[in-house]
Amino acid sequence: MRPLGVGFVFWPELTPLLDDTDLVGVIEIESQGFWEKLRTGNDVRYQPNEGLLRNIAHYPQPKLLHGVGQPLGGVTRDPVDAAPALRRAVDLLDPVWVSEHLSFNRTRRGGAVTEAGFLLPPRQSEAEVLAAADNIARYASIVERPVAFETGVNYLQPRADELDDGAWFASVAECADCGILLDLHNLWCNQRNGRGQARDVLARLPLERVWEVHLAGGMALDGYWLDAHSDAIAPELLDLAIEVVPRLPNLGAIVFEILPQHLPRIGIDGVRRQLETLARVWALRAPDRAAIQPVVRRHPGAASTRSGQEGDWQELVEWENALVAAIRGDAMTSCRFAELARDPGIAVYRQLIGDARRSNLARALRYTMTMLLAGLGADATEALLERYCSTADPDAYAAVEAEGFANFLGGQPELLAHIPHLAEVWAFEYALLRATLHAEPTELAWSSDPAEIFAALDAGRLPRDLAATRTSMRIEPH
Amino acid sequence: MISELNPQPLPPHELSRVRIYVDAEVSHDLKRMNKVVANVLARLGCGGCHSGRILEFLDMREFVVNPKTLDVEGRMGAQF
Repeated sequence: MRPLGVGFVFWPELTPLLDDTDLVGVIEIESQGFWEKLRTGNDVRYQPNEGLLRNIAHYPQPKLLHGVGQPLGGVTRDPVDAAPALRRAVDLLDPVWVSEHLSFNRTRRGGAVTEAGFLLPPRQSEAEVLAAADNIARYASIVERPVAFETGVNYLQPRADELDDGAWFASVAECADCGILLDLHNLWCNQRNGRGQARDVLARLPLERVWEVHLAGGMALDGYWLDAHSDAIAPELLDLAIEVVPRLPNLGAIVFEILPQHLPRIGIDGVRRQLETLARVWALRAPDRAAIQPVVRRHPGAASTRSGQEGDWQELVEWENALVAAIRGDAMTSCRFAELARDPGIAVYRQLIGDARRSNLARALRYTMTMLLAGLGADATEALLERYCSTADPDAYAAVEAEGFANFLGGQPELLAHIPHLAEVWAFEYALLRATLHAEPTELAWSSDPAEIFAALDAGRLPRDLAATRTSMRIEPH
Repeated sequence: MISELNPQPLPPHELSRVRIYVDAEVSHDLKRMNKVVANVLARLGCGGCHSGRILEFLDMREFVVNPKTLDVEGRMGAQF
């Protein structure tokens, strides 16, 4: 694989570092992070942020695309066609290769595809190896670039009836004839959380297939170590990278990951120092590295893995449904995987999905959520959110999740009337969502100057004693 | 008289553009309203790659004034 160097997952907050081409040799872009999910009538589509992608394309560094929404494991595909948005990102950024997670994030329930709200571990079986290889071939035929899968984090306990993590990753890579994005922090999380030792996993991997290494920092929760992309790389993990990198003959990039909400923890200078450290790790690559050119393989055709293996396929469906049901707290319909409900990792997934959903609402309904917290208090607001989450499936796209919650609030006029100005703020943010998602215009009425209402909320308090002034507002899609 | 707000979400967020018209004699602080709209519209997409804990709601919960004591419990992170 063509050696590109050291880089990071792009966020606008890290843009100041991009001009230093000695420091940043490669830019990785998470495709779906810059898409929106829009609906026109019954047509749902993903729309990439072309302006952003064009801005990134102007930087001289080579690019990599890293998917976070169409994972390569599992048996349930996204009902929304992601191919046009993926191809557009490839056309604009010309990535050297494209990667995605070896996870699943959707199941079929009652005839409809529902989101799980998280990247979940698929069944580590021979049948899932074939299913993943089929998914990888299909993904490669869409992006027409070499494809690598990311070695994922798994908060469940290891199972005796599954392939161990090393054999699982190796089997998928060999069966799909694809690359590996070796996320060392994920392997380290798995080790700390009771799965295989990272070095044992590495010993089973076809290391010549590793094109890329991810490194990140994490955080603790209830005895688990989380792949939170929230901090600097731990010294112990850095030691593992120093040990492994010289054994990767086709390594093309080392990428540091940190989410923008955690950037204040280390600051942009901290990211610079991480990249400088990783440059020293990059220099440890084997000097006699082979130069294997990955091949883009065509998808062999529909249902290539299902014929004659319906029983195995049903087992994958059963696993995925059972895992999602256990996390949701639904009654388990699977006898075979009923013990999943007792895995301590289930509570971790439940917590993380809940936090992600609440955070999406804090982003897209910022002022409504502020009013609920200030008017009801934290406990009552969390109880309200719990009621909403128990009645609606999650969606990774903040606007879609927020529209669901805005609808839920709309069915509670007494609550909206309980807090002064809440109905107006809710209507305002709901209108912004509808203008964005559905191109719907809205007429709003305010009983006070909205700028004064938002000034109070920006300070974290309810607006009080504002002068009564009738005013109107019209929101239109642009 | 009507004013047009022209919210400009921080670049490079170019999606989610809307036009907002308000009574100009009432909303004097158009700059604040632009910022309010940009705050909301800039963050409507899919979250980033993570297998960990997203803390934005928890940060908001700590920031907001406690309605019983009227105390500010904490301070939100820089992203707000």
